[in-house]
Amino acid sequence: MSDLIASLPPSPVAGSSVAGEGDDGSQALRPWRKRRRLPSSPLYAIVRWGGAGLFAALVIGLIVSIVSQSSQAFAHSGLSFLWSGTWNPDAGDYAGGTLVAGTVITTLVAMIIVVPIGLGISVSLSELIPRWLAGPLSTSIEFLAAVPSIVVGLWALLVLSPLFATDVEPALERLPVLGWFFHGPAYGPSVLLASVVLAIMTLPTVVALSRTALGGVPLADREAAMALGATHWQVVRRTVLPGARSGIAAAITLAVGRALGESIAVALVIGNRPAIPHSLLAPGATLGSAIVNQFAEASPGLGTSAVIALAGILLLLTILVNVAGQLLVRRRGGRRLLGVRGAVV
Amino acid sequence: MKRSRIAHVLFALAAVLIAPCWLSVANSAASPAATSAITLDGAGANSIAPFFEKVFYDYEQLHAKVTVNYSPAGSSVGIKDIQENTVDFGDSEIPMSASALAAAKGGTVLQVPVELGGVAISYNVPGAPNGLHLDGPTLAAIFDGAITNWDSPVIAKVSGVSNLPKLAIVPVHRADSSGPGWDLDQYLIATSLNWKLKIGTSKPSTSWPLPDLGEGEQLNTGVATFIKATPGAIGYVSFGYASKAGFTNAALENGSGAYVLPSSYTIGQAGAQATHLSATNFSIIDESGPSTYPLANFSWTLLYKKQANAAKSAALDKLFHYVVTTGQQQAKSLGYSPLPANVAQLAKTTLAELQS
Amino acid sequence: MRTLRSAGVPDSAIPDMGVAAVARRRVVVRDCARHSIRRRRMTGRAMQVICLIAVLIGVTPLVALVIATVSKGAGALSIGFLLHAPTPEGGGISTAIVGSGEIVAYAVALAVPLGLFIALFLFERAGAIASSIRFSADVMSGVPSIIIGIFAYAVYVERFHHFSNVAAGFALGVLMLPIMVRANEEAMRTVSVDLWEAGISLGARRSRVARSVVLRGALPGVVTGNLLALARGVGETAPLLFTVASPTFAMTLLIFNDATQPFPDAQQTAWGTALVLLTLVLILSVTARTIAWTLNRKTR
Repeated sequence: MSDLIASLPPSPVAGSSVAGEGDDGSQALRPWRKRRRLPSSPLYAIVRWGGAGLFAALVIGLIVSIVSQSSQAFAHSGLSFLWSGTWNPDAGDYAGGTLVAGTVITTLVAMIIVVPIGLGISVSLSELIPRWLAGPLSTSIEFLAAVPSIVVGLWALLVLSPLFATDVEPALERLPVLGWFFHGPAYGPSVLLASVVLAIMTLPTVVALSRTALGGVPLADREAAMALGATHWQVVRRTVLPGARSGIAAAITLAVGRALGESIAVALVIGNRPAIPHSLLAPGATLGSAIVNQFAEASPGLGTSAVIALAGILLLLTILVNVAGQLLVRRRGGRRLLGVRGAVV
Repeated sequence: MKRSRIAHVLFALAAVLIAPCWLSVANSAASPAATSAITLDGAGANSIAPFFEKVFYDYEQLHAKVTVNYSPAGSSVGIKDIQENTVDFGDSEIPMSASALAAAKGGTVLQVPVELGGVAISYNVPGAPNGLHLDGPTLAAIFDGAITNWDSPVIAKVSGVSNLPKLAIVPVHRADSSGPGWDLDQYLIATSLNWKLKIGTSKPSTSWPLPDLGEGEQLNTGVATFIKATPGAIGYVSFGYASKAGFTNAALENGSGAYVLPSSYTIGQAGAQATHLSATNFSIIDESGPSTYPLANFSWTLLYKKQANAAKSAALDKLFHYVVTTGQQQAKSLGYSPLPANVAQLAKTTLAELQS
Repeated sequence: MRTLRSAGVPDSAIPDMGVAAVARRRVVVRDCARHSIRRRRMTGRAMQVICLIAVLIGVTPLVALVIATVSKGAGALSIGFLLHAPTPEGGGISTAIVGSGEIVAYAVALAVPLGLFIALFLFERAGAIASSIRFSADVMSGVPSIIIGIFAYAVYVERFHHFSNVAAGFALGVLMLPIMVRANEEAMRTVSVDLWEAGISLGARRSRVARSVVLRGALPGVVTGNLLALARGVGETAPLLFTVASPTFAMTLLIFNDATQPFPDAQQTAWGTALVLLTLVLILSVTARTIAWTLNRKTR
C-alpha cells in the first residue's frame, strides 16, 4: 500500500464534502448528485462501456438475426405457422404447429416426472438426511448438472432406449388407468423416453433451487408450528412448503426453460416424427430436435427461413419462460434465494 | 503475497492461451494464407461416406500437405452447402436439378460422377433367410402400410418362404431427404401401379414417407441402427453400410424379372447400363439383365467451375482424379463397385473444366 | 417505527405474520385437533419413505450413467486412443481432443476478457442501463445453445464462406459469456464496500481500486465462475453443429456422430470419447471448487 500513499495527489475529495457548511452556517447536505465525479481513467471507461456495448450488440444482433431470417417464412404462411399442421419440407409445407405441440407435450411430461421427484429430494436433503450425508449427496446431484447433454443423450440412446423397448414400455401399456397413454408399438425412441431424458437433465435445477427456497423459510415459522404441536411432516407440509412456494415456482419455471432449450439429447431419442403423437410411446419431434435435424439440409430461401422461424418460436418461448422465472426469483428479494445462480451453473 | 503470485500466474496463463487465439482469428478471417498446406472441406451424401473416408485417408497418406475433411450429413446438406458456397466440394446421390443449380451462389456447378453404389433393402426378421425375394408391388405395399405382418400371404407368395414369423412389420424410412429414398421411390413408381397412384410421381416425392407409418431415422446410420435393434424392421440402407453391418438383404426383382441380391458385382452390372450417363440422364434404377441389381446409383461430386484460387483448383482436380482412378480400387471391398470406363472418362472430362 | 428487523433480530428468527401464514398456523391447529398423534406420526413416516424413494429414483440415473460410461468407455481407452488420429478402421480421437481444445481456447479468448469488462461495468454503475444488461445476461444464459449456433452460422459461416473452428469458438464464447458475467459480478459484490470506499477515499482512481481491491478480492469467485462456465462450454454440442468443418474436430460432435452408428467399434469410440469428456468436465469442476476453497481459506 505504500506506493499508493506515496502517489497521493492532493485529495480531490477534500473540496466536495457531502456534509458542508452552508452559507448561513447551517450544516446543510450538499445534493448528492452534484458531488464531484470520482477520478477515473478514460481507458477504464472505454473498457467498461465498450464491454457493455459489445454485449448489447450481441444480444440485439442475436434477436435481429433470428427475426429477420425467419421473416420470409412468416410472410409466406402468416401467423398460422405457429399452430397449423404439417411439417413436410419435401412438399414445401412448412408449419410449426406439430412441433410446438411436441415441445409442449415433452416438456409437460418431463415436469410431471421431475417436479415430485425433485421436491421429494429437496425435502429429504433439507429435512430428513443427516448433514454429513446431505452435503455429498447434493454435490453429486449438482454434478449431474455438469454432465454434458451429449453424454446423457448417448447413454439414453444406447442403454436406456433398448431397456425401454423391451421392459419399461410394455409394462406401462399394462397399467390399469394410465395405460391408455401408453398404447401402440414400442420401439424405444419415443416421446416418453425424451421426457425422461429431459427430467434427468432438469432435476439438478429443481433440486438446487427448491432446496434454497426451503432453507429460506424462517426458523421462527417452523418453531411456531412445532409449538402448536405439529409433527415434522406437518411442519414441512403446512409451513415450509407453502412458505417456499414462490421459490419452488421459480425452480419449476427455470427447469421448464432449460427443458425447452434442450435439443441434442432429445434429437437422439425422440424418433423424429413431425406429427402429433397419439401415444407417449410414439415417436415425436420438438422444436429443438427439428432444428438439429433440419437446419443443415434446409434449402436456401424458404426452407432455411422456416427452420429459423422454428428457432424464433423457441427463442420467444424460452425468453418468456426465463423472464418469468427470473422475476419469480427476484420477487421475494435476493435474500431468500441466496446463491441461486451459483447453484444453477 | 502468495495470492498475487497466483494471480500473476493465472494472468500469464490466460495471456499465453488468448494471444495465439486472436492471431489465429485474424489469420483465418482473412483470405486463406498462401502456405503450402491446403485443406479441402466437403459435405454431402451419407451413403458414400465409407468410400470417401477410406479414399481420402489414403490420399492424405500420399500427400502430406493436403487435408481433406468430409462431413457426411446427407445429400441435401451437400447441395445446400455448395449453393451457399460454404464448402469446397459437395456430394449428392442425386444430381442437382436445374432450379438448384440456378440457386448456386458461386456460378456454374460441375457435377462429377465419382462412385457407383447401391441401396439394399435390409430386414431384421428372426428366422428369415438372406435374399428374400421381393418385387416392386410387394415392397410398395409394405412401405405404404397395406401389408402389416411378415407372415402375410402376399409376402409368402412372392418370396416363396411360407414360414415367416408372426411379427409386425416396422418400416423405417429416412427422416431426411436422401439418395436411397429417392432410389426406392423411383423403383416403386416404375414397378408398382398402386404406388404411382397413391404416392404420385413428383421428384422428390412430396407425400412419401408417410408421416404416420413406421419410424423415421436420420441418415443411413440411424436407419441401420434401428434395423439392427428392432425385430420386424425393414428399411433401405446404402449397401456400403448394409454389408458392413452384416444385414440380411432382399433380392429385388429387376427389369427383366430376375431376383437379384445386392453385391459389388450386381451393382456394377447396373452401372454398366449407363452408356449415356450425364447429370440430366443419370438414373440406373430398375435396369434389365440376368444379374443386374435394380437399386443402384452413381454419386455425384459438386464443384464450382470457377475456384477461388489456383492452388485450390489444382488440389481439387488432383484429389478427384485420384478418387476416380486409383481410388476405385477400394470400392469393391467397401460394398461399392468400380466406375465403368465410360463414366470414369466422363468424370475426367468434367474435372478438366475446373478453372481458377 | 421500531421493527424486529431494525432492532437487529435476524430474519430467520422473525416469524411470518402475514394473513396467509397465520391461516396456515390455524390449519396446523385444526390438523392437530382432528388427527391423533399416532396417525400424524404414521403419515409422517410414510412421507419420509416416499421422499427417500424419490432420492433413490433421482440418484439412480446419475449412478447408472457414470457406471455405464466408465465401464463401456474404459474398453476403448488407451494411449493410442488419445494420441492417434482417426482412421477409416477406427484409430484414435486425437484430432477431436485437439479440435475441442482449440475451439474452447477461442471461446475463452472471447468470453473471459469481455466477461470481466461487462462485470466491471455492472459493478461500477447502477441505473437502467446496468440493470437491463444484468437482466438480459440472466435471460441470455437460458437461451438454447442451438439458437446461438444458428446465430454463429449466420454471422460467421455465411459471411466468410467456410466452416471453421473460429466460428465454433465464437458461438461457444457467446454461450459462456452471460454465465461468466453474472458469476464475475457476484464475485465482485462479495468484496466489502468498505474496502472499495477506503481505496477511493485514499484518492486512487476507480480503475486502480478496481484492479487492486475488487479484482483481487473477487479472484476466487471469478476463477471459480469462469472455470465452471468453461466446464459447461466443453460439453456443448449444439453450437458446434453448424459451424465446424468436420465432426472429427470436436469431441462432442464425434460422440453425436458415432452414437447413431450401428457398428460396435463406432459405438465403442463414442463411449471412450464420452469418458474422456466426462473426466475433463469433472477435473474442471473439481479444480474450480478447490481453487475457490483454497483462496477463500487464505482470506479468512
